[in-house]
Amino acid sequence: MGSVELVCPAGSPAMLRAAVEAGADSVYCGLRDETNARNFPGLNFSPDELAGAVDWAHDRGARVLVAINTFARAGATDAWLASVDTAVKAGADAIIAADLAVLAYARDAHPGARLHLSVQAAAGTADAIAFYAEAYQVKRVVLPRVLSAPEIAGLIRETSVEVEAFVFGGLCVMAEGRCALSSYATGRSPNLSGVCSPPEAVTFDRADGMLTPRLAGLAIDRLGADEPAGYPTLCKGRFEAGDDPAYLFEDPVSLNAMGLLKSLRAAGVKAVKIEGRQRGKAYVARVASAFRAAIDALDRGEDTTRFEALLSDLAEGGRETAGAYNKKWR
Amino acid sequence: MRARGIPGARPTGLGKIRTRLLAGAMIAARPPVELALTAALRRTARLQPDVFSRLSMVGDGAFLIAPSELPVAFQLTPRARTGRVRVVRRDDPGPFIARISGPLMDLLGLFDGTLDADSAFFSRRIDVTGDTGAVLALHNALEAAELSMADLLGLPTGGRALARKGLAALLRGVSRAAPVEG
Repeated sequence: MGSVELVCPAGSPAMLRAAVEAGADSVYCGLRDETNARNFPGLNFSPDELAGAVDWAHDRGARVLVAINTFARAGATDAWLASVDTAVKAGADAIIAADLAVLAYARDAHPGARLHLSVQAAAGTADAIAFYAEAYQVKRVVLPRVLSAPEIAGLIRETSVEVEAFVFGGLCVMAEGRCALSSYATGRSPNLSGVCSPPEAVTFDRADGMLTPRLAGLAIDRLGADEPAGYPTLCKGRFEAGDDPAYLFEDPVSLNAMGLLKSLRAAGVKAVKIEGRQRGKAYVARVASAFRAAIDALDRGEDTTRFEALLSDLAEGGRETAGAYNKKWR
Repeated sequence: MRARGIPGARPTGLGKIRTRLLAGAMIAARPPVELALTAALRRTARLQPDVFSRLSMVGDGAFLIAPSELPVAFQLTPRARTGRVRVVRRDDPGPFIARISGPLMDLLGLFDGTLDADSAFFSRRIDVTGDTGAVLALHNALEAAELSMADLLGLPTGGRALARKGLAALLRGVSRAAPVEG
């Protein structure tokens, strides 16, 4: 492992193997149910697949982190608690959680289990992180994607908890863990059901050479023949305000903070994370390989600029951003 | 239903006649292709039954896999034991729950996981209509299956690289010979 841990996504055992073979130090994944925030049809791991994948990864020196990071339903927490038991039984290296009940259960039922605080908890202050560390013995926090690089550096100076930061993939405009936008249209949201814009509510209409993505029947964009498309989420819809159609909440762009690896490492970031469990083997192999090469180059004291454009064609909407890491506003 | 072609491939009147003739010929020759593809599907079901557990939400629905360059499409019913593949006319495909269309080589890349499906969709190389959830389930099942062209052809592992190159060359030849309807 280099100076920064490379954490990659896996939506299946095959994708996990592709990630490790391409250079991931750790892989995160979820079980095939609503207890994780990528609950898409056909995705994720059965308990047996998880156990096999953990053994396979450990044989190659890689770690497996299990995301149980949706919020348990009041009065019906069994599925979430069972997922914790399954992850521990499989030999997972850490559980990634946000819900207080899930964290408390893991702490009490499995005292040796390592806990990471999910980005879904939106813990972006030293006080918030200290609370989770003291109350639940959380060892690592995955930061919400709303902080600038200098803010992350300041935060790390105030905490002893390891920090993991997203550096590539889909980008949410909302403070993580607090977005219910999808549920207004579909009745389901990422935080509660594990799925934003559930695919059964998504349709694509074609007429007059235009493509119209719809969510639960609501048109959320209208694209010409050559315009790049994105997965239709309401936050990245193009709406008319006055006479001008515009992306009112967020442009359909993807995060690529490879150019900030050096700054993040200098700030004390322990691990960098790639988004995209739903993407597949080809995606994770390319992204893991590029970031592996960039981290290794960084560790040799070399410039990483030559790696920064390698992944541009993977971006949603065909465009990339460094997101809040470079923000100038407050 | 009007077939959609790849950009810049609008045929002339003569091209349309050639397309219809080619479609007729391919439909006439479909039994051995259907048998081979159906056998490959069922072989996969025997070897990797977990793949089909990822498709439980699809039920008995059929997918239409429609290469842009061909006048025919493949109607895929991915059931564990009784799954089947039929060759159908692109402009008269029968019922389907979702259609995935795009250049043939891209569709093969999706099949064996060498092409990133989201990127292909974002860049509009791949077109999807119908039940998006079913398409995602199929994509995720294929991702988990780690299939190759050799699996499609029923070849042993040692012949996989050769199979991919050989099939790709064959399919490129078919693509060049098959103008699409505009």
